[in-house]
Amino acid sequence: MAPGTPPHTLVDSRGSTCPGPITDLALAYRRSKVGDVIELWATDPGVKPDVEAWAAKTGNRIVSLEDQGDKIVVVLDIVRR
Amino acid sequence: MAARVVIAGGGSGATILANALDHRRFEVTMVSASLEHLFQPALLYIAFKGAPVNPVRDQRKLLAKKVALLHDRVTRVDLPRQRVETASGENLDYDYLVLATGMGTDPAQIPGLAEISARFGDYHSTVAQARKLWQSLQAFGGGTIVLGQSSPICKCPPSPIEGILLADELLRARHLRQRSRLVFFTPYPRPYPAAPINELVEPILADRGIEVMRFFDVDRIDAASSTIHSIEGDEVHFDLPIIVPPFVGADIAYEPPDVVDPDRFVITDQRTLRVKGMDNVFAIGDGANLPTSKAGVGAHLEAGVVARTLQGRPASFNGRTNCPFDLAGGRGTFVIGSYDAPVVKLRPSRLHHAMKMLFGRIYWLSLRGWLEPAFRLYFGITAPPSRRAGAP
Repeated sequence: MAPGTPPHTLVDSRGSTCPGPITDLALAYRRSKVGDVIELWATDPGVKPDVEAWAAKTGNRIVSLEDQGDKIVVVLDIVRR
Repeated sequence: MAARVVIAGGGSGATILANALDHRRFEVTMVSASLEHLFQPALLYIAFKGAPVNPVRDQRKLLAKKVALLHDRVTRVDLPRQRVETASGENLDYDYLVLATGMGTDPAQIPGLAEISARFGDYHSTVAQARKLWQSLQAFGGGTIVLGQSSPICKCPPSPIEGILLADELLRARHLRQRSRLVFFTPYPRPYPAAPINELVEPILADRGIEVMRFFDVDRIDAASSTIHSIEGDEVHFDLPIIVPPFVGADIAYEPPDVVDPDRFVITDQRTLRVKGMDNVFAIGDGANLPTSKAGVGAHLEAGVVARTLQGRPASFNGRTNCPFDLAGGRGTFVIGSYDAPVVKLRPSRLHHAMKMLFGRIYWLSLRGWLEPAFRLYFGITAPPSRRAGAP
């Protein structure tokens, strides 16, 4: 990791359906600090509305949310904790 | 010469596996820290119904005669040397190792939780704690009951909602519901994390007047002011708190240390159940970091996959869940899904509730493997439709 780059946590939730990727995101959020970046990989299409609702509730920022075909990739900036 | 299989752990998955292996081909040693085998789903009914059941059996009586049971605690696992070390100083060398070490509660993760649990009890740790919670509910004369999970990792995902619905039922029976507020909090965007099941559950909660606090991830509990605070900045006051504690994997030192995740769950291939980087080591049950529910059915099915694999038959775990869900009022549903199939929405019924109750009665027989033909039939009939063609 380059100097000055915020800690980047990769959360691989591919294959997870119940309770789902939001569980892994919530766990990563518990361990995060302001300034961290969380990258979430998921295959459950429900991840999109869930992460949007999560970001709205927690006040954190979705940098990108991309369906890459084999997986959905969400990058989040942790700006509030 | 028989291959040496060490099974670390003595829960349902470990017991089913130990009994399922061909004992002419495998010399099986189970290492269990307890000789008391607990039927964990009974804790719900002890805590919320005061059920006069004994959910504990002697582990020695649940195992086939040829299984050696070592009453000891695994402290260290040296994977390169193929050795398991125990608290009493035993060193066990193995040809195959199965980690069925489960998970335990860790109230210390949440400031204030240990004090609350000691005072009011809980229904996810021990029989004594479940009985304490029943006493707390008996002593409750009205006010606010707050119930929820304090961490996203939860043993038996339906259990928090089962708890709040049974609390509601109990208060109604005691004519206390009018004088009580019931609050359910959850770290998820909806009361039940899987959306199809939530479509069943949320209207029931609304119908019973149970308030829901979403995205409520417990940060700390202030016992002095009887308040729970969330990471997200919300808070709720309680008179009776019923908190599902955080869970962590077993406290075992591993070599190499990177085969467990930060919560000490063993990093496991979700299909083969092999531990990361190891051909002869498997993990099953709650202690594995599989992306599926922490529930007994997983341990049961995973034990079968490992038994078949060790005996040279092709086998793969498909992530099947089959969690019975008590919705109170004598009705229930099941949470059925897999890695390849979204959770099925099963209409609540008395039959599903009866099936849950039936399983409580046949659990001990299921550990011996005597009911496997019936289970295979059931899991075949109820297999959820796969979301992709050709999925295993």
